Amino acid sequence: MKKLNYFLAALLGLSLQVAEAQTPKGSVLIKNATVITVTNGNLENSDVLVQDGIIKQIGQNLNAPSGVQTIDATGKYLMPGIIDAHSHVGLDVVNEATSPIVAEVRMKDVVNPYEVGLYRALAGGVTISHAMHGSANVVGGQNATLKHRWGSSDPADIIMQDAPRTIKFALGENPTRVHGRGNGIQPRSRMGVEAILRNGFNEALQYKKAWETYNAAKSQKGNTMVAPEYDERLQTLVDILDGKIIIHCHSYRADEIYMLINVAKDFGISKLVFQHTNEGFKVAPEIAQYTMGASVFADWWAYKFEVYYSTAFNAAILQRNGAITSINSDSAELIRHLYHEAAKTQRYGGLTDEEALAMITINPAKQLGIDDKVGSLEVGKQADMVIFEGHPLSSYAVPQMTFVDGIKYFDIKTDKDDQRQRVSPTEMVEEVMLTEENHRCMQDTEFLFETANALFHTNH
Amino acid sequence: MNMKKTFLKASVLGLLITGLISVQSLFAQSDPTGKKPVTSTYAITNATVFTVPGSPGTKATVLIKDGVITGVGSKISLPKEAKIISADSLYIYPGFIDGASQAGITKPEDPKRPENFVSSNPPDEIAGITPWRSADDQYSGSSSQVNDFRKAGFTIAQIVPEGGMIAGKASIVVLGDEKSTNILKNNTALAANFRGARGMYPATAVGVMAKFRDVYKNTELTQQRSVQFTSNTGVVRPELTPTYSAMADVVNGQVPVLFTAENDLEVRRAISLQKELGFKLILTGLEEYDAVLDLIKSSGAKVLIQLAIPNDKAIKAQKEDVDEATKAQYARVKEAYDQALAQAGKLEKAGIPFAFTTVGEKAGEILPALRKMVEAGLSENAALAALTSNPASILGISKIAGTIESGKIANMVLTTGPLFSEDAQIKHVIVDGLIYDYEIKEKKKGNGNGNGEVKAEGTWEYVSETPAGSSGGTITINKSGSSYNGTITYDNPGGSGSASSPLKDISLSGNNLSFSFDVAAGGMSLNVKVSGEIANGTLEGSMSIAEYGSFTLTATQSPTFTANK
Amino acid sequence: MKRQVKSFFAFLLAFMPIMAMAQIDGEFIKPRSGKFLLQNATVETITKGTLKNTSILVENGKIAQIGTSISAPDAEVIDCSGLVIYPGMIDGGTQLGLVEVNSVPETVDYAEIGNFTPNMQALTAVNPNTEAVPVTRVSGVTTVMTVPQGGLFPGTAALINLVGYTPDQMYAGAKAVVMNFPSSARRGRFDRRSDEDIKKDNEKAQKEANEIWERAKSYHELSQKGAELEYYPEMAQLAKVIAGELPLMIEVNAASDIQNAIKWVADKNVKVIFSGVDEGWRVADEIAKAGIPVITGPVQDLPTRQSDRYDAAYSNAGKMAKAGVKVAIRTNESENVRNLPFHAAFAAAYGLGKEEAWKAVTIYPAEILGVADQYGSIEQGKVANLIVATEDPFETRSQIMHVFINGYRIPLSNRHIRLYQEFLERSPNLNTH
Repeated sequence: MKKLNYFLAALLGLSLQVAEAQTPKGSVLIKNATVITVTNGNLENSDVLVQDGIIKQIGQNLNAPSGVQTIDATGKYLMPGIIDAHSHVGLDVVNEATSPIVAEVRMKDVVNPYEVGLYRALAGGVTISHAMHGSANVVGGQNATLKHRWGSSDPADIIMQDAPRTIKFALGENPTRVHGRGNGIQPRSRMGVEAILRNGFNEALQYKKAWETYNAAKSQKGNTMVAPEYDERLQTLVDILDGKIIIHCHSYRADEIYMLINVAKDFGISKLVFQHTNEGFKVAPEIAQYTMGASVFADWWAYKFEVYYSTAFNAAILQRNGAITSINSDSAELIRHLYHEAAKTQRYGGLTDEEALAMITINPAKQLGIDDKVGSLEVGKQADMVIFEGHPLSSYAVPQMTFVDGIKYFDIKTDKDDQRQRVSPTEMVEEVMLTEENHRCMQDTEFLFETANALFHTNH
Repeated sequence: MNMKKTFLKASVLGLLITGLISVQSLFAQSDPTGKKPVTSTYAITNATVFTVPGSPGTKATVLIKDGVITGVGSKISLPKEAKIISADSLYIYPGFIDGASQAGITKPEDPKRPENFVSSNPPDEIAGITPWRSADDQYSGSSSQVNDFRKAGFTIAQIVPEGGMIAGKASIVVLGDEKSTNILKNNTALAANFRGARGMYPATAVGVMAKFRDVYKNTELTQQRSVQFTSNTGVVRPELTPTYSAMADVVNGQVPVLFTAENDLEVRRAISLQKELGFKLILTGLEEYDAVLDLIKSSGAKVLIQLAIPNDKAIKAQKEDVDEATKAQYARVKEAYDQALAQAGKLEKAGIPFAFTTVGEKAGEILPALRKMVEAGLSENAALAALTSNPASILGISKIAGTIESGKIANMVLTTGPLFSEDAQIKHVIVDGLIYDYEIKEKKKGNGNGNGEVKAEGTWEYVSETPAGSSGGTITINKSGSSYNGTITYDNPGGSGSASSPLKDISLSGNNLSFSFDVAAGGMSLNVKVSGEIANGTLEGSMSIAEYGSFTLTATQSPTFTANK
Repeated sequence: MKRQVKSFFAFLLAFMPIMAMAQIDGEFIKPRSGKFLLQNATVETITKGTLKNTSILVENGKIAQIGTSISAPDAEVIDCSGLVIYPGMIDGGTQLGLVEVNSVPETVDYAEIGNFTPNMQALTAVNPNTEAVPVTRVSGVTTVMTVPQGGLFPGTAALINLVGYTPDQMYAGAKAVVMNFPSSARRGRFDRRSDEDIKKDNEKAQKEANEIWERAKSYHELSQKGAELEYYPEMAQLAKVIAGELPLMIEVNAASDIQNAIKWVADKNVKVIFSGVDEGWRVADEIAKAGIPVITGPVQDLPTRQSDRYDAAYSNAGKMAKAGVKVAIRTNESENVRNLPFHAAFAAAYGLGKEEAWKAVTIYPAEILGVADQYGSIEQGKVANLIVATEDPFETRSQIMHVFINGYRIPLSNRHIRLYQEFLERSPNLNTH
């Protein structure tokens, strides 16, 4: 009888949890690792205790409270979960490409927790990715910051709910091609891109004023003023102006980067991160002084004209000039070895281990506004962690286990090969994709270029 | 299963009561056609009647008068004017109700793009935002698709307009006499989906969701402004666009949104919009939903699932002698297949009353699909409820439909056996008191060898399943000496009615009958080839048109012409 | 580590402008030939083990001597104490030199119009002055196979050294006729053909390949007999494969395609190389049994199927090698061929092992392409393609200190490095008014 009650209680407790849709949090003790804290140096032969998803203690000879699993990591490296500040993995739609400004669209609406790319990212130690709108618009949609809680069917479970809002901007070739050349409207040039931005922000200011005037008037007696039209596009721009949203801007050339800095200054915007930023090195002092830095590729160049005058030393130059710098993937493939991409800053510019690793942990965390929660191994932070065999900056490094909130979502030894969560009941033979489109910055814009599909193989 | 195209051809009973449905104005004629009904009261006696889902079938008589059920029971007294229809061996179920249907719906032409068209800011009508459209305007009750679904047991359907993200308003119709408008209720729901507009804003699901919010919130504001405008002076006249006007009753909670959501992620998207904006929600078109049973339940949304199951080609194509890796792959496909089949049963167990939608489905595949769902765990009671009382409740017509009870519309399905048994066939469908009769196909015996004489000559009634629905007509073949000649009738491709062509190259070798004919369509002459096997007075084969593909064709030889004894 | 970085910068500084000529700032450093003595290094020969405290004499473009006490008073001595010398790496498949900026069609020269164009010569279109050449060679990749793309027989690939002012000066003595084996796989997300269409297309392409092959055989047989045939450069080129003059490099990736390709070549008696071979691990035993060598890659790539283990591409080379296949590694890149050592490192870490991985970018591609007598290892008499590094060049922290190609000492500069030099400390720094 007692037993029955116990089961009932367990059952009820379980269903209660489901109803509240709380993200799962785990407890674990990792022993004897070389702990790479990123923010406080390396600790040899040290332990990290996680309880309820939070790092509770870092030190030596820690004991596991009862019920907490211990993992022996002797000879291995433990580092914070890798954060990718530019990804399109886990999204059903990437571009609402149809208008130069689509600030109203929300990538959170189309998060797909089943995409196996999320698991593959975990297998590369990546615990958080910034699932971005594409680069077809000067002002794209609002992005989603994802925590890779693989296995959930609820998009809400993999969205990092405590991350601030961010939005995609894009300058240069992509928006000018889509709108100017594809649709015959502005912008067709980098001049037009600036005009779109200034037009948008000025309209937003008018919009804000219209609502303020209305809100002030409506409670007055004998008010005859009616509510203005609701426009989430403009409201979102207002939110940017009010500092509620961090801009992440796809950009390549120095001139356009400089332009956006000037626009931001004119409108009092300070929350600004540049993405790709291949020529960021040319305006590194300006980026360092006025923005939240740049998130760059380790070595991509020459796939399109605006990245022809790039250098693989970009990250190092930005770093040495004091810009917050992160290394990102923008690719379902690259996201799996960001530790290796970060390591390239040692070949190209001789950055230290700490600087290199910061570029995939605490620096992207800063750029996403989540550095108080993740991005380093510190007591009180969320327990997103990776165990590596070999130093993570070695080309031979192999991630072994990946944890999000103290729960293990990747284990090289015990995971089954086939990680698909959904399988078609009607497909006899599985598709073989030989040239998988890794890079989806321009996905969903195909219809604008039906005669020139070839263009899309190189558009980031 | 074969049928006669409409009651016009066959059903004597049906003809007897048509006059009651369409009110005719007096023009001082008696009925020289002899088709005028003699009575409008019928007693279907001694059948096994399932009055409401969940109750066992009992032997009873159902009394119908003027299209309304006036009595159900074993001891009801029959009025003298009642024509008795003996149904000793038949089973009677409430007429099926289709929660969302596009049978008989023709998509309106896309409006022309204006001169100054900009894809970033297209007019609502072009972008697929047409809440003012009504399914009524797109519906034709005489469509062969409507016939098909009636033949499958459907008597009432909520018809849904074709269109973009906000396609328009649905209506509820009776699948009855095509001379009637058949409309039970219009403006019953707003049809919405996540389909983007091609090449313009909003082009993708993420844009559609943003645009939906925009339309919704601005409808609310427009209403506020209208209230201000009518109750004060000095207020600027609000701009009443067709979109905002037509959305008003949705925003006011009078009309639910019928959101097409095929999989669990789309279900979540629809429910998140509903939670954010507060409209009444009916989810429709669900195909993959076992991950969101709890969410559906807690949201209170009503549910119409696809009345279809995945095809089993992949399952059947699995081979025996394969390596372990392939075996594991097979297992996952099989598992996915089984899971898909078991979903309806899980929905029942979760305590969510649901009904079906037939959008995108073929009428002929519906009963087999339903039987598979029952095999996979859905209870027969729940399956019947999903066809009858649940949709009646979801559509708000429980008072008049969904069960066999006095006072309700005389909508019923009469089968030769228990509905979910493999052998059961639908023999009659009663809609609005109008009786439609269908051919009962004998169980196949042998393959036409033996005693079964194979004859090409005679009159054949045929049905062909094409992507545009089923069409049919009559094939007449005469034998003179050793050669054949004949004609075929078919739905006139140039408009209404039927057309006919002479048959060419008729040949019968063994059981195999083949011939061809030419159809004039759109200024071209199409050559149509037909071939098939004859067995027991049935021709089963295909009809092929070069470049268009091949379609199944089934024909039955007369004289198995009327079902009414 | 720190010390090494410093020495690298010291090295860079050595090449900084020394004197100013009239109106021209700085001096451009060119590759230069000469007699060089690389003294006192650890030498990884690849074929003859590791040699400690060993010196190498480079003379007339060749490795003239290897030993512990070489006397060459007239040689320019380069102190290599504490450094490691490896043979230059060979990338078995790239588009290097055939494209400058991929999205600018005017700069794309790797694909010609037509399905049967084996006479298209990659070597003709190689741009010796492409920006990608100096960017690539400072990473230690000294030699690459540059491969045309496109139809069924898109052209003839060529092996080039990353030094020289004309294609002929770059040519490293190996060519191969390229074939894209008809595929039953999807080409990517944009490939929306139905399964049946894919099957039909595949059958059609197979048939076409067979017909072309038969014609090439006839062309070969008739011309052997001395027949004067009509001008048919496509057939003439493919006939060279049949005659055994050139290998056939078959790009094939899906498992079932690989099996078909093995069957297809079985009775043809020609020299065959498989390239790509993404799903080689599924049919590794069959490839090994057929004795066909493989140039596989990229290694840093996604699995071909959703159900595959995440590391399917990383571990492909290792699994094939384990089954007994001779495996070389390629990047299939153009501007980022410099990542070849990292692709090799990933293959090493996921099952191939470091030693085999090194061979996969040195001696194996040389053997597969028939130039092992000249390239692929540090042996006396071979072409002096050498790299000197602070440590294992597969590691990103390793710095490449010296590169020799064809005996030329290569300046360790390129646009990436020059931009670094200019912009690391920009002047003026921030706007000052």
